[in-house]
Amino acid sequence: MDNFDAELASETSRRRFLRHAALGTAGLAAAPALAQQLVDLKLPGGNAERPMTSAFPGKGSMILQRVHPPLLETPMDVFDKSVFTPNDQFFVRWHWADIPTSIDVETFRLNVFGHVNRPLSISLAQLLRLPRVEMAAVNQCSGNSRGLFQPRVAGAQWGNGAMGNAKWLGVRLRDVLDLAGVKTGAVQVRFGALDQPVVADAPDFEKALDIDHARDGEVMIAFGMNGEQLPLLNGFPCRLIVPGWYSTYWVKMLNSIEVLPGPDDQYWMAKAYKIPATPGANVAPGARDFPTVPINRMIPRSWMTSLPDGQTIAYEASIPVGGIAMGGDCGVAKVDVSSDGGRTWYRTTLGADEGRYSFRRWDGRVPLRRGANPIMVRCWNTNGVAQPMKPIWNPGGFMRGNIETTTIIAA
Amino acid sequence: MKTPSPGIMAAGLIGLTGIILVSIGAPSSRKAPAPISETSEPAPPTSVSARGFSLASTSVDLPVDDATYPDGPHADVINANCTSCHSASMALTQPALSADQWKATVTKMREVYKAPVAEKDVDAIVAYLTAMPSQKAAPATGKAQDPDPKVAPDVSGGTG
Ligand code: HEC
Repeated sequence: MDNFDAELASETSRRRFLRHAALGTAGLAAAPALAQQLVDLKLPGGNAERPMTSAFPGKGSMILQRVHPPLLETPMDVFDKSVFTPNDQFFVRWHWADIPTSIDVETFRLNVFGHVNRPLSISLAQLLRLPRVEMAAVNQCSGNSRGLFQPRVAGAQWGNGAMGNAKWLGVRLRDVLDLAGVKTGAVQVRFGALDQPVVADAPDFEKALDIDHARDGEVMIAFGMNGEQLPLLNGFPCRLIVPGWYSTYWVKMLNSIEVLPGPDDQYWMAKAYKIPATPGANVAPGARDFPTVPINRMIPRSWMTSLPDGQTIAYEASIPVGGIAMGGDCGVAKVDVSSDGGRTWYRTTLGADEGRYSFRRWDGRVPLRRGANPIMVRCWNTNGVAQPMKPIWNPGGFMRGNIETTTIIAA
Repeated sequence: MKTPSPGIMAAGLIGLTGIILVSIGAPSSRKAPAPISETSEPAPPTSVSARGFSLASTSVDLPVDDATYPDGPHADVINANCTSCHSASMALTQPALSADQWKATVTKMREVYKAPVAEKDVDAIVAYLTAMPSQKAAPATGKAQDPDPKVAPDVSGGTG
């Protein structure tokens, strides 16, 4: 363990150098067969068409937001088939393009260091022998649905598919921290990964949680996803799972756990992923100079997935509708549905409870009128929070959670 | 899994802590590499397993993006400056933004993400960005409410 820091540092700089050297050739290699079919995300104001792609390793048909580094969105119909999102259609989101494309499970090490009594360098064979936990949890990007903000804001222009739900298998972060022996005075734990910036001095993507949160017994290090190892693009060989919190904390390709004696003041905690410290993270469009806090707990959301938005169907007096809901930082209490713009609400039946952090299926029935029927879904979580009718706005395009409308045309 | 427990199934606590404490710091010696046979079938990926779960070494190829910013005034400048860290689609998929907002984005690329963009190229890049066809916003026909086109540029935070 003596050379721990030095080894880590030299590894990092070697990778950085290799990838940097390779950058010059980007754009010259043969283009993959990327774009076949286009999908319209129906973002207000347009520029909403995206190609579908199956060109990414371990991934099936996905909405292509960006090739390099990959941003892949899950098509909404995937969520209609199961509350668990298949690994090969689980959304993908990287910040920096220096992503290792080869992981050797024998040499990989997860390092625990900083404000601890006993720095550790844990092999995957060792990680697999620790006490196991399994939990269903929704992984949702902080900026999921950003493209629906009005006025629009800069950033990845996601529709609603920057989210997924999986059964995560792994170990408790608390158990790993206890093995290292957290020293008194620890304040936060910072998580780093194998991916690196592609230019020197740029901020490496690292995120931090308060020590009590890190030790709450729910935060876990997952190596299994829906019964299989993680796809490389979802963070193989292991990633952090922070149930009930936005995905920005779910660090992929996790290889460094650093216990800090003070708060993490680096870019990705101090400047990026900040929300207004106002109720619902809401400010007036154009507002500035408001106090901010790091984004944190998720809020309830729900979608109708049984029919796509804009679908025309043959008129019937009523139709079955169904979809998914999430409680955010707790379970789903109930889901209501309306087909008259929110004047009349109908109860729905909830599907199997896979755990409070999981998606939950809902099914119901609504009356139709001829013409356009705005079908709205509203989730109440077990903390008594309901989705609001009115959308919020903030300059980062974070935390959309208002009632969503799916328009069905009865002809 | 039922509330209020977080739905956790723990197993086999006994003795595991002991195993870990002993084995960390003395990582098991690595296997000798498999000899390369003449009729070389690619060797199966190495794997580690314990307690009924295996992890196999993984190697992938990521697609390369050779898409450039479409032709237009200053396309050469933006292609020289704005394709190394991420695909051009990062900018091409943005909604209609004001010149101030685009300038703030380019400033963020330089100051926060350390993009090696010369000061003298900034105006040409902003000119290209504001002239992109996608910047002529279609009327807002989407589903959200509250349209208000006046937005101050945001230089802080972002991403997600
Ligand atoms: C040094 C690397 C680098 C260079 C060069 C670079 N960018 Fe970026 N850019 C980034 C990173 C990192 C992000 C955040 C990516 C993410 O969130 O996935 C980003 C995000 C963006 C975004 C999304 C909005 C936002 O604020 O996150 C836009 C638009 C953008 N870049 C445009 C440009 C333009 C135009 C140029 C050329 C002036 C450029 N970039 C050059 C690193 C770079």
